[in-house]
Amino acid sequence: MKITSDHFLEHADAALADPDKAQRRDLLGLFMPLARDAAAARYGDFEALRVHLKQVRRHTMEHLEHYLTRFEEEALRNGNQVHFAATPEQLNSTVLSICQDHGARRVAKGKSMVTEETALNDHLQQAGLDVIETDLGEYIIQQAGETPSHIVGPALHKSLAEIRQLFLDRHDLGERPLEQVADIVAEARGILREQFLQAEVGIIGANALVAENGSTMLVTNEGNGDLCANLPPVLIVCTTLERILPRVEDAMALQRLLVRSATGQPQTSYTSFYSGPQRDDDVDGPLETHIILLDNKRTDILASDYSEILDCIRCGACLNHCPIYVGVGGHAYGWVYPGPMGSVLTPLLTSLEQSNDLPNACTSCGRCAEICPANIPLPDLLRDLRQEESQRQLNSPRWRRGLRVHAWFLRHPALYQRLSGWLMPVLAWLGKRRGSLRTLPFAAGWTGTRDFPAPEGGTFMRQYRKRGKVRRRRG
Amino acid sequence: MAESPRSEIMARLRAAAGASASATTPEQIARELAALGFASAAVLPAADTCIAFMANVLANKGSVELAADRAEAVRVVGRYLYNRFRTHKLVAGNDPRIAAMPWRDAGVLPRFGAAENGDGAALSYARLGVAETGAVVTWTGRANPGRNNLLPEDHLVLINREDVVATLEDAWLRIRQELPAGSWPRGINFIAGPSSTADVEAQLVMGAHGPRRWHVILVGATPAEALAEAKVLTAATGP
Amino acid sequence: MDNLKPKRKRTRARRDVALMVTCLADLMRPSVGFAAVRLLERAGCRVSVPDRQTCCGQPAYNSGDVNAAVPVAQAVIELFEPYDYVVIPSGSCAGMLCQHYPALFEGEWRERALALAAKTWELTRFLTEVAPLPSPKRRPLDAAVTYHDGCAGLREMEVKQQPRQLLLQQCGVEVKELAQTEVCCGFGGTFCTKMPAISSKMADDKLDNAVASGARLLLGGDLGCLLQLAGRARRRGLELEVRHVAEVLAGTPTGPGIGDPRR
Ligand code: SF4
Repeated sequence: MKITSDHFLEHADAALADPDKAQRRDLLGLFMPLARDAAAARYGDFEALRVHLKQVRRHTMEHLEHYLTRFEEEALRNGNQVHFAATPEQLNSTVLSICQDHGARRVAKGKSMVTEETALNDHLQQAGLDVIETDLGEYIIQQAGETPSHIVGPALHKSLAEIRQLFLDRHDLGERPLEQVADIVAEARGILREQFLQAEVGIIGANALVAENGSTMLVTNEGNGDLCANLPPVLIVCTTLERILPRVEDAMALQRLLVRSATGQPQTSYTSFYSGPQRDDDVDGPLETHIILLDNKRTDILASDYSEILDCIRCGACLNHCPIYVGVGGHAYGWVYPGPMGSVLTPLLTSLEQSNDLPNACTSCGRCAEICPANIPLPDLLRDLRQEESQRQLNSPRWRRGLRVHAWFLRHPALYQRLSGWLMPVLAWLGKRRGSLRTLPFAAGWTGTRDFPAPEGGTFMRQYRKRGKVRRRRG
Repeated sequence: MAESPRSEIMARLRAAAGASASATTPEQIARELAALGFASAAVLPAADTCIAFMANVLANKGSVELAADRAEAVRVVGRYLYNRFRTHKLVAGNDPRIAAMPWRDAGVLPRFGAAENGDGAALSYARLGVAETGAVVTWTGRANPGRNNLLPEDHLVLINREDVVATLEDAWLRIRQELPAGSWPRGINFIAGPSSTADVEAQLVMGAHGPRRWHVILVGATPAEALAEAKVLTAATGP
Repeated sequence: MDNLKPKRKRTRARRDVALMVTCLADLMRPSVGFAAVRLLERAGCRVSVPDRQTCCGQPAYNSGDVNAAVPVAQAVIELFEPYDYVVIPSGSCAGMLCQHYPALFEGEWRERALALAAKTWELTRFLTEVAPLPSPKRRPLDAAVTYHDGCAGLREMEVKQQPRQLLLQQCGVEVKELAQTEVCCGFGGTFCTKMPAISSKMADDKLDNAVASGARLLLGGDLGCLLQLAGRARRRGLELEVRHVAEVLAGTPTGPGIGDPRR
């Protein structure tokens, strides 16, 4: 997927200027946190669950090679073919060659952020394959030629009217009202059912990989991923290294956190563990199954100070809880992953040069870290990225200069206090009448959208010293 | 020869982990893991496992009926099919437990095998029920082909009272007992609701791709009051 | 520090408190500093205001310029470590000292940062949990009040009930709660000038909720948030008085609200 994260601010302005979509996002930001909070409260000790999974993740990441090897052994024993892909290109070409080996023309896909990351669809389509997204949200944006705006609800930015028009344009089904959400769902169901039945290859992602038995866990409400995994004769699971967990119980703990954080449910309609191709006892299912394990810089991240982002279980809660995501929507972030997790991942998976606004799209309010089921200190990681920007001089030179001057003054308190003691009364005098200033030199960033409240007058330190009370030194 | 992606990735993992991890033996890793234990389960909505199970099935937008025994289960299924489809057609996997039921008594004509596109109702005999989440567990094979959970309009599930366990960990304990190492099936499915989507306008709609309705029949001596209590609980907590 | 023991005996409940005024109160709103001094003295503390204090270094720290933040933090540690308590009328600066200073250092400086963190308090928490304010002898405040929870206070310093409790106790006011009170107001330090459009959208949401609460007076414990909210309220022409909670707790304020014309 082409990255446009360097245009974050322009995207954001455009998003803020669309009141209909802005309202849609505000509602998401209002209701999703309520659903999550209610589910967490009903759970009982959700915090203990969070801590437990974190411990298991730490353990797994520490011994990733061990668990990856174990997973591979078990998956091979189950009859899978296991592939490793260091880069997105390797994943894409592996998938394509599997499809070509089978002379496949039609591919049905379940929702997979990993294949968004590698832009698999483009690759397969260029080779002449028909690729159809089967998650309803993904299907809608695929038809619209758009990208996901949310990692859980990819098409939540679109209105019913837009989707209706899209379906009328794209589906040659004659006159029909198509006015209710249920009509949309029913129409997509009919079209996609055919695709499931005809596809020669099914592609799904995985929410977890279970090392002890080489199976993959898939969590959906629609059941589209399960149809992809059960109907086509060939199944390809596209996933990444860090999805590994030691035991089925650990995958279940992840599922508990994931679903409550994502939608507020206790369990999605379908939670499935798939282990490989048809067994003797089977009368259906794929005849051949492949698992592709993508690295795409995960091993680098593992070795870096950002390794905790690998604990992300893609629940989307940090998006729903982030006022900046809610304000500007997913497309503003300009790549696959938006919101706080995306602002960490995008610079790491692409480059900080291409996305240097993203780590700054954060007020450090800490709400995401508070609810992240994987206990990832997202604001800290974003601050670390800002530090890297500063070190690599990727932020604006004016900013750097300003901050350096400010810090210099802070280290010279006498001068700082003399200067501020002089400047503040001037500003106070300027703002005397209105109580605030509409413009201020060098502060357009503030006064473009806000008045600058005038200072009261002399600084506290000066007034206090005049009263002869300031402590020079502790005696 | 160029390095394979596999060896490249493994080498990088080794480098990332540093010396400490590679010095750890598999036994040490297993001990470390065992020491972490399992997670604590969700609080059940009721002390009685079956009531909690039913309450959660209802919260998951399923429907529940009781059947004292298999003969009554046949009548319950027959009535359901007639009310919904005005037929007695049904598809079910080659599950000996289903095959042994007196279907003719209710005029039901099951077709045994895999569900096809266009089938109205499929019946599964669940291996387990999980009170914690209101899920039933099936696994793929002759007794319940994977597509039987997915293709029909309505998915009917029989579950024995005594097969309802409290937590997901309990469920895995039972699964491990029933499926000794090496006999792991192709797919293990936890089902906790009809196929649903909220992808359009965040509005919940049933029957996204699979079953529009999910009907759970609890087989065994369950008093009707238990079901009534489950309904009250679901109404009180809401989804 | 030599004759600490006899002094303790003599003054007993008198706590030796250093006030960290914060750069924003120092520059923009000295009345917050004076209110804090009054409150602390009323709570029986001996208040010192160490000279040479400027700022906690958050602007550089949050912008990623850790090299600039380190010497500032060291200066703060040196200046404030001789006191029994450090009290700050800002959740965000208190959070900086308590949560972030220790992370800046290793070794001896880290120990010193941790020691300082252990005795550093946000003002309203200090006045409820360490040195409770005596019951007031004054008229209750006659105003419909709402309260904005600054994020750092809320999440780093566990400030939530304390200001509400003090307002009830001292001023007889029950806070009319904001909808979505735990959502950020969009200040975020340098964020507000780097991304003004998004920042103002967030301020608008907060202000709309404040107006909807029916309150006329919007209080908070962090001047950063309050300048942001007042500045945006003035630009929109909203009739909302914005003040730091300390101003109201210390006595019925006489001066204008933040950004308001002189009365
Ligand atoms: S970072 Fe945390 S909250 Fe955000 S998607 Fe990942 S797991 Fe969910």
